[in-house]
Amino acid sequence: MTDEASLKRAQMALDGELDAANQLAFEEDLARSPELAAEYARLSALRQRLRAHASREAAPERLRARVAALAAPAPSYPRARAAAMAAGLALAAALAGYWAGGATKDPTLAELVAGYQRAALSGQPVDVASSDRHTVKPWLAARAPFGSLAPDLAKDGFPLLGGRIDIVDRRPVPTLVYRGREHLISVSELPRSEDGGGETTLDGYHIERWRDRERSYVAISDIEAGELAAFVAAFRRATSS
Amino acid sequence: MSGETAKRRFRDIVLPHLDDAYTLAKWLSGDGADAEDIVQEAAIRALAALEATTPLKPRAWWLAIVRNAALTFVARRRPNALAFVDDLDEIAAEGPDPEAALIARDEGERVRRAIASLPSPLRETLVLREIEELDYREIAAATEAPIGTVMSRLARARGALARMLGKSP
Repeated sequence: MTDEASLKRAQMALDGELDAANQLAFEEDLARSPELAAEYARLSALRQRLRAHASREAAPERLRARVAALAAPAPSYPRARAAAMAAGLALAAALAGYWAGGATKDPTLAELVAGYQRAALSGQPVDVASSDRHTVKPWLAARAPFGSLAPDLAKDGFPLLGGRIDIVDRRPVPTLVYRGREHLISVSELPRSEDGGGETTLDGYHIERWRDRERSYVAISDIEAGELAAFVAAFRRATSS
Repeated sequence: MSGETAKRRFRDIVLPHLDDAYTLAKWLSGDGADAEDIVQEAAIRALAALEATTPLKPRAWWLAIVRNAALTFVARRRPNALAFVDDLDEIAAEGPDPEAALIARDEGERVRRAIASLPSPLRETLVLREIEELDYREIAAATEAPIGTVMSRLARARGALARMLGKSP
């Protein structure tokens, strides 16, 4: 075997590139040949020195922040607002979704998602801000053709932030806004309709739909699907009588 | 504007390997501030590519993008700093400049300077192997070179480093 071929083979062994049979043959040669053993030891020693002194470096925080921002699902509100309100919506994604929203098949869902995005983007997710359902309920009832139950879900980890009126198909619809961790969850109450139940997503938002004897409900959030399901379960528990 | 799917892939693929990307960019450009620009540029390219791609080997794929962004950056910033493959034999024949490595007393500094003094095709191959720990196939794909070339570059890089660094102190 030429020197060069021998060196390449030693290098492949070092780099873990030999298959089992060739590795075995190499190890047998290694045991037989002091020259080969010395060569291999030199290669190993060099690797150790390189890895000891040229290790990975941590990316600077500002770089990490800039790169993460490129794909953020949820840039936060300005600080002052963040304390008061749930943060967590990607502005870029929301804008993209806003324009894409009109093209979807279900105009009701598209309008509700647009309402969610608009509310979150504006930094004013609610028209009436109150954690007291006795404040929110009459406010919505005065502005929409049917009232909302506005259940209190604070003990389930979803405090009420307030309510707003969304416009769907040119009609006012009462929408409750809750907070789940640092995300907004909105629940709109619609006249009961047979179509559309279960989970879906639109523009990256999780949507869950269900109905009871009188109404259909649509919950929208950028929270994880599992957590939205937990929210819906708590909401349904609280509103079933 | 990026879709949510691309962003999700980006968060899974790119963000966990940001340190690797920064390290590679710094070795290829020789400068921390340049490395930040390179990684950011690479990230923008990666996000755009992820609209249509789900890479099979995400980390190697991402590092290949960083490597290409670094080459573009270095070529634009310092046209003379880049050794093209055609020039490689010439440069290697002259031998790497051992001076910088010799004057450094600190072992770590010597090792780093020795790597930095390698011509860029040898340096990138060595860094992808020893620091980023890619395998030959991944390096071949990232550097757009045949496997045989990867192996000979590695051998030459290691030979040059061994000569520069000599025995361990």
